[in-house]
Amino acid sequence: MAGTGTAHLRHDVVLSVTELVVEFPARKKQVVHAVSGVSFDLDKGETLGIVGESGCGKTTTGRAIMQLESVTSGSIRLNGVDLAAEQGEQLRQARKAMQMIFQDPVSSLNPSRRVREIVREGIDIWGQTREGDVDAWVAEVMESVGLGDEDVADRRPHEFSGGQCQRINIARALVMEPDVLILDEPVSALDVSVQAQILNLLEGLKRQFGLTMLFISHDLSIVRYLSDRVMVMYLGQVCEIAETADLFSRPTHPYSRALLASIPGNTLGLPQASELISGELPSPLNPPSGCRFRTRCPHATDVCTSTEPELVEHEPGHWVACHHPSVNA
Amino acid sequence: MPLVEPGATGAKTETEAVAPIKGGNPGQKRRLGLTFWLSAGWIFTLVFLALFRDILPIRDPDELGIRTREVAKFESPGRNACGGGDGQGRDMFARVVQGARPALILGLTVTIIGGILGSAVGVTSGYLRGKVDTVTTVFIDIALAFPGLVLLIAVRATFGNSMFVFIVLFSLTSIPGYARIVRGASFALSERDFVDAAAAMGATKRRIILRELAPNIALPVLSFAFIGFALVIVAEGGLAFIGLSLDETTWGKLIADGAGDIARHAHVALFPATVMFLTILAFNLVGDSMRALYSPREVATQRRLRVGAMADTGSGDEVLYIDDLFTALHTPNGDVHAVDGVSLSLKAGEALGLVGESGSGKTMILRSIVGAFALADVTRTGTVEVAGVDMLRAEPADIKRTLGTQIGMVSQNPLTALNPVRLIEHQITEPMLVHTSMSKSEARTRALELMQQVGIPAPERRLREYPHQLSGGMRQRVTIAIALANEPELLLADEPTTALDVTVQDQILRLLSDLQRDRKMAMVLVTHDLAVVKGFTDRVAIVYGGEVIESGPTEQIFSNPRHRYTVALIQSMPNLDLPSHSELTTIEGTPPSLVSPPRGCRFAARCPAAQDICNTTPPSTNEASEHWFRCHFPAGDDAEGAA
Amino acid sequence: MLIFVQRLGRLVFVFFVVTFVTFFLLDQAPGDPAERFAGLNATPEVIEGIRAELGLNGSLIERYLRWLGNAVRFDFGDSIVTRGFSSWDLIRESLPKTLELMVFAEIMAIGIAVPLALASARRPGSFIDKASSSTAFGLLALPAFVLGIYMSFIFGVKLGWFPTIVDNLPGLNDDPLDNLRQMFLPSLTLALNLVAVYLRLLRSDLIETLQEDYVMLAQARGLSERRIMWRHVLRPSSLNFTTAVGLNIAGLIGGAFIIEVLFAINGMGRLVIQSVILEDFNVVAAVVAILTVAYVMMNFLVDVLYSILDPRIRHAAR
Ligand SMILES: Nc1ncnc2c1ncn2[C@@H]1O[C@H](COP(=O)(O)OP(=O)(O)OP(=O)(O)O)[C@@H](O)[C@H]1O
Ligand code: SF4
Ligand code: SF4
Ligand SMILES: [Mg+2]
Repeated sequence: MAGTGTAHLRHDVVLSVTELVVEFPARKKQVVHAVSGVSFDLDKGETLGIVGESGCGKTTTGRAIMQLESVTSGSIRLNGVDLAAEQGEQLRQARKAMQMIFQDPVSSLNPSRRVREIVREGIDIWGQTREGDVDAWVAEVMESVGLGDEDVADRRPHEFSGGQCQRINIARALVMEPDVLILDEPVSALDVSVQAQILNLLEGLKRQFGLTMLFISHDLSIVRYLSDRVMVMYLGQVCEIAETADLFSRPTHPYSRALLASIPGNTLGLPQASELISGELPSPLNPPSGCRFRTRCPHATDVCTSTEPELVEHEPGHWVACHHPSVNA
Repeated sequence: MPLVEPGATGAKTETEAVAPIKGGNPGQKRRLGLTFWLSAGWIFTLVFLALFRDILPIRDPDELGIRTREVAKFESPGRNACGGGDGQGRDMFARVVQGARPALILGLTVTIIGGILGSAVGVTSGYLRGKVDTVTTVFIDIALAFPGLVLLIAVRATFGNSMFVFIVLFSLTSIPGYARIVRGASFALSERDFVDAAAAMGATKRRIILRELAPNIALPVLSFAFIGFALVIVAEGGLAFIGLSLDETTWGKLIADGAGDIARHAHVALFPATVMFLTILAFNLVGDSMRALYSPREVATQRRLRVGAMADTGSGDEVLYIDDLFTALHTPNGDVHAVDGVSLSLKAGEALGLVGESGSGKTMILRSIVGAFALADVTRTGTVEVAGVDMLRAEPADIKRTLGTQIGMVSQNPLTALNPVRLIEHQITEPMLVHTSMSKSEARTRALELMQQVGIPAPERRLREYPHQLSGGMRQRVTIAIALANEPELLLADEPTTALDVTVQDQILRLLSDLQRDRKMAMVLVTHDLAVVKGFTDRVAIVYGGEVIESGPTEQIFSNPRHRYTVALIQSMPNLDLPSHSELTTIEGTPPSLVSPPRGCRFAARCPAAQDICNTTPPSTNEASEHWFRCHFPAGDDAEGAA
Repeated sequence: MLIFVQRLGRLVFVFFVVTFVTFFLLDQAPGDPAERFAGLNATPEVIEGIRAELGLNGSLIERYLRWLGNAVRFDFGDSIVTRGFSSWDLIRESLPKTLELMVFAEIMAIGIAVPLALASARRPGSFIDKASSSTAFGLLALPAFVLGIYMSFIFGVKLGWFPTIVDNLPGLNDDPLDNLRQMFLPSLTLALNLVAVYLRLLRSDLIETLQEDYVMLAQARGLSERRIMWRHVLRPSSLNFTTAVGLNIAGLIGGAFIIEVLFAINGMGRLVIQSVILEDFNVVAAVVAILTVAYVMMNFLVDVLYSILDPRIRHAAR
C-alpha cells in the first residue's frame, strides 16, 4: 500500500523517514494503528513542526525515530544510514547523533541525581565525544541555556521550577551536539509566560548551534513560531506538509483548515470550526478506510471511502493528501 | 503462606516508592522525628547488649538460681533481677539478652540477603517487563502460595536446624516479598520520562537499572527492610512458639516456655513478650519514619472550614457577590494566602473571565465560593453571596441547597471530574434526586433531555455507560450536563477546555457560551489563556498573586490594558499576525510567594516600569468604577506610561 | 473473559507446582513411612505390601499423578499415624473450627476497621484518626502469640471473662453461647492484627480518593457528607482492601496455627504441624492441596470482585 506517498521527499538530507509504520498490539489480537505510512525529511539547519491532536501519532513518530518504540516497517535514515537495518549495539551507537526533549520537564530528570551529573550524562555514557576541554564545553552549554550560575550544578532537580528543568533538559541534549534534536511538546507543561522564555531560548540556540529540529506540538501557534516547515497529522497519517507561512495563509487539507479555525479567536479568516469538522475521533484500532478523515470531513465523497489519498504537490513545496483539495479555494 | 509474610503491614510500599518526584516540594525540609531517634536508640541498645553480653555485668543466663540462690524460683521482677526469674531461678533479663543475639543475627542476614536478591529480581522484571516479568510474577505467585511450614520441616529434617539452615530458608522465603515491592516501584518508575531520556541518550539497560532506577528505589527498599527485619523476628518467634525453631535460646522460645504458666507467673512470658513487642515496634517505627522521607506527606492538617469576619453585603440583584474575600490555607509550611482581598460581582446573564497564571489563585476563588477544599484547613473571611444566600455563614442546609440548585460547576480535567465507578445515569440524576422532589423516572427523562442539549449522541446508551467509555470531550459534556441539572443561576467553569484538543475546545466553549446566553445564567470562566476569554465573556478580571489586579469590560481590557502585568500578558500571547521566528515578549522571573506575599505591588519584582514606591506601597484602586486596576504607574497614562 | 481464563490458567499452574514441590519435598525427607507403618520386625515382603497399599510404590511422577487422580475424589489416602482414619476424615474434623475462627475474625476485623477508617479519613489529624492510627501501629508490632498471651492474661486470667483454652468446643448449633464464649478470645486476637492491616490500607486509599476532583465536585453540588463517603468514596477506595481481605481469608485457613496452638483449637493449622512433625505425609499432602485450592480460589475471587468494584477493569477484561 502506498501510504500517504513519498514524492515529497528530498535528497541529501540529515534525516529521512520513509513509509514509517508503528503498530501496537491491543487486546483480542487487535492492532493500534498509531503511525501508518508517514514519510518526511529534515534538511540540515531546518526545523520541521509536526502538529495534530492527541492520538494522531506525532509523539509515536518522534519516539520511533529515537528507537524508543519498535518500528513495524519503514525506514529511518540518519545521514544516509538506515537505522532500521541496524541492530543491538550498532543501533545504540546511532543514538549519539540524535537527542530528545520530553513533554514533562520535571519527570524527565532523575530526582536523585545532581544537575551536574544529569547534564554530563551523555559524556559519561559515550566518553569524550569532542576535541578540547569537556568541562569548558559543558559550562558553555549551561551558560547558553541560561543556567550559568555557579551553584546550579550542585543542586537537584526538585529545587527548580518547570521552566528551569526544561532548560536543564535542553542542556543535557545540547552537550551531545546532536545532528537532530527531537522536541516532544517541550513547552506544553509550562505556564504561558515561561513558554515564551523557552521558545525564545530555542530560537536563539537554533541560530547559535545550527540545530536541526523536529518540533512536535498540538499547539499551532507555537509550532508556527518555531518551524520552517509544518506537517499536519491525523490518525497516524500525514495530511499536509508545507512551508510555515504557506500553511497558515493557505491551509488546503480540510483537516488543517478545521484545526486552524479552532484556534481561539480564529483570526485567519476561516469559517467557523463547527462548519469544517464534525463528529468524534474514530478509534485507531479500526481507522476508516480510504481517507481517514472522511468520517468528519464536510467534502467527503465515495472516492474518499475507497481510495487512500496520496501527498500531491499542490503548489511548489506545498503537499496535500486529499482527493478534493480545490473545493476549499 | 510464606514464613515471612510481606503483606502483613498494611503499608502500600509498592505505589509509594515512586513518590519522590511528586512530593518534591522545594523548600520543604523533611526530618526524622523524635520517635525515630527513640526507636533507633532502642535498637542500638539491643545491639550493644547482644554484642558485649559476655563482658558486661550480666548474670550467666544458664545459671540455675535454685543452685546459686542469687535469683529465686519465679522471682518477680524487681531490684535483684529486673526481668525476674524463671521456673529454675534463671535471670530472665540475662536470658532475654541471650535471645537477642540470634534474633539480630537472623534478622540482619536474612534482610540483607533477601533484600538484595529480591530487589535484583524485582528491578529487573519491573524494568524489562515482557517475558522476564511474566516468569517472575508466576514464581512470586507460587512462592506466596507455598506452605512455608512444609518447606521448613522438610529442610530441617534433611539438613538439621542450625542457624545456617534458618538463614537460607528465611532468606529464600523473604525474596518474593522484596521482589514484589521493588517490581511495583520499578514498573512505575520506568514510566517516568527520565528513564526514556536515559535510553534516548544511549544508556545501556544495565546502566539504566544501576544508575537511574536503583538510586530511586534504594530508600523505599531500606525503609521496607526495617519492617522486613521485624517480620523475620516475628516469624522466628512464631516457629519457636510451636517448638520448631533454632536450638539456641530465642525470644520465641522464652515466651513459649512461660506461656504455659501464665496464670500464676505471668512475668516469665510477659517480660520477653514485651521486649519483643518493643523491638518490633522500634523497627517498624524506623521503617515508617524513613517512608515519610520519600512518600508524599500525609495530610497532617485537620480538615476544617473556618469563617472570619464579614464584609459588605450585596444589593440583592447580583447572582454572585463577593466582597473582600480572603482565603487562607493553613499548612505545615505556613499559611498560603491563596485569595487575598478579592471582590467580584455578577448579574444574571453576565459572563466573567478570570485569567491568570498557574498558582495565581483562580481555582481557589471558585472553591471559596462553593466551600469545597478536599482535605485542607481553610479560613475564609469576607462575603460570598450566591442568589442572596451567605455561603459562609448561612445554615448548612441552606448552603447545601444553594449549592445544589443555584450553582453548577465544571472543572478542568474531565478525566477526573466523573466518578469512575458510577454509571453516567446515576451521576446526572443524583443532584435532581437529592435536591428536588423529582422521581427517578422524571430525573431520568430530564437527564436524557440534558444530554441532548449538551450534544451527546445516543444518550440512551450513554446513560448506561461508565465515564471511561467516553472520550474526553464527551465526558466534559457530561459534567456540563450535571452542572445544568437543577437549572442553576450561576455556572462556575474552571479551565473547562485546558485538557482537551483544540477542535474539541472550540466545541465546548461554544456550547458553554450558548447555554449561558440562552438560559441567562451568570458564568465565571476561569482560564490561563487570554484568547479564550476574548470571544466568550463580557468582563475580565486578571488575577495575580491571589489578587485581582485589573478588571473591566473585555474589549477595554484588550484595547486599553492599564496594569503592567495585563499589558505583558497580552503581549506574550502568541500572535498569528507576527511573522514566525520573531522574538516573543516574555515576562521574566517567577510569580510571588503566596505564603509571604510582597508588601507593595505583587508584580514589582517582574515589572519593567517598577519604581521604589511599588516595592513599599500597595497600589490603591477604586473598585466601584467599571474598569479598574491596581498600579502606581499604569500603562497608557502618558505621564508615567512613557517612563 | 479472556483475561479471567488466563488468570485461572495461571492459578491452576500454581496449584500443580505447589503440590508437586510439596510431594517432592516430602519424598526427600529421611525415613520410610512404609517401614514405620509396618512396625519393627516386618519382613521386606510385608513392607512392600504396605508400600503398595499406601500408594508409595513407583516413581515420584507416577505417585504424584496417582495421588492427583485420587485427590479430585477427595481420596487423599489413609493417615499413617492415626490409624483407621483417612486423611480426609482428619481434615473434615478440623476444617470447621478453622473456618469458624476465620469467619469470626474477619467479621470482627471488617466491622471495626471500615467504620474506623471512614471516620479517620474524613478528618485526618483529628483525635479519632490519631488514636486509631497509633493503636493500629502498635497492634502491628504485636505478633499473634504475644498479643494472644496479653489477651489471655488480661481477659482470661485477670478479668476471668473468657476461657483461655478452647476445650471441648460445642457446635455452633448445639450451644451457641458456649461456643461463642470459647471462640471469642482467639477470634479477637486474630481480628486485632487484621484490623491494623485493614485500617491502614483503607484509610490511606480513602484519603487519596477524597482528594479527587469528583469528590470535590460532589461537595460543590451540596451532597451530604454521609452520602459522599458511602456512595462516592468507599467503593473506588476499596480495591487494595479487597485484596487484603481475600488473601487473608485464604491465608488464615492454614496460617492461624499459632492461635490454634495457643488456644488449643484442633484446627487445620494444628493438623499441619502435627502431621508434619509426625511425618504423616498423606495428611500433609492433603492439607497442602486444600490450602492451595483455597489460595487459588480466593485469588480468583478477588479478581472477579475487582471487576465488579471497578468497571474499568471489567471492560478491560472483556
Ligand atoms: N490544598 C492546598 N494546600 C496548600 N496550598 C494550596 C492547596 N491548594 C492550592 N494551594 C495553593 O494555592 C495557590 C492558588 O492555587 P490555585 O489552584 O487557585 O491556582 P490557579 O490559578 O487555579 O492555578 P492553575 O492555573 O494551576 O489551575 C497556589 O499557590 C497553590 O499552591
Ligand atoms: S480525501 Fe476526501 S475525506 Fe479526505 S480530506 Fe479530502 S475530501 Fe475530505
Ligand atoms: S504598581 Fe509598579 S510594579 Fe506594580 S505593575 Fe504598576 S508599575 Fe509595575
Ligand atoms: Mg486552577
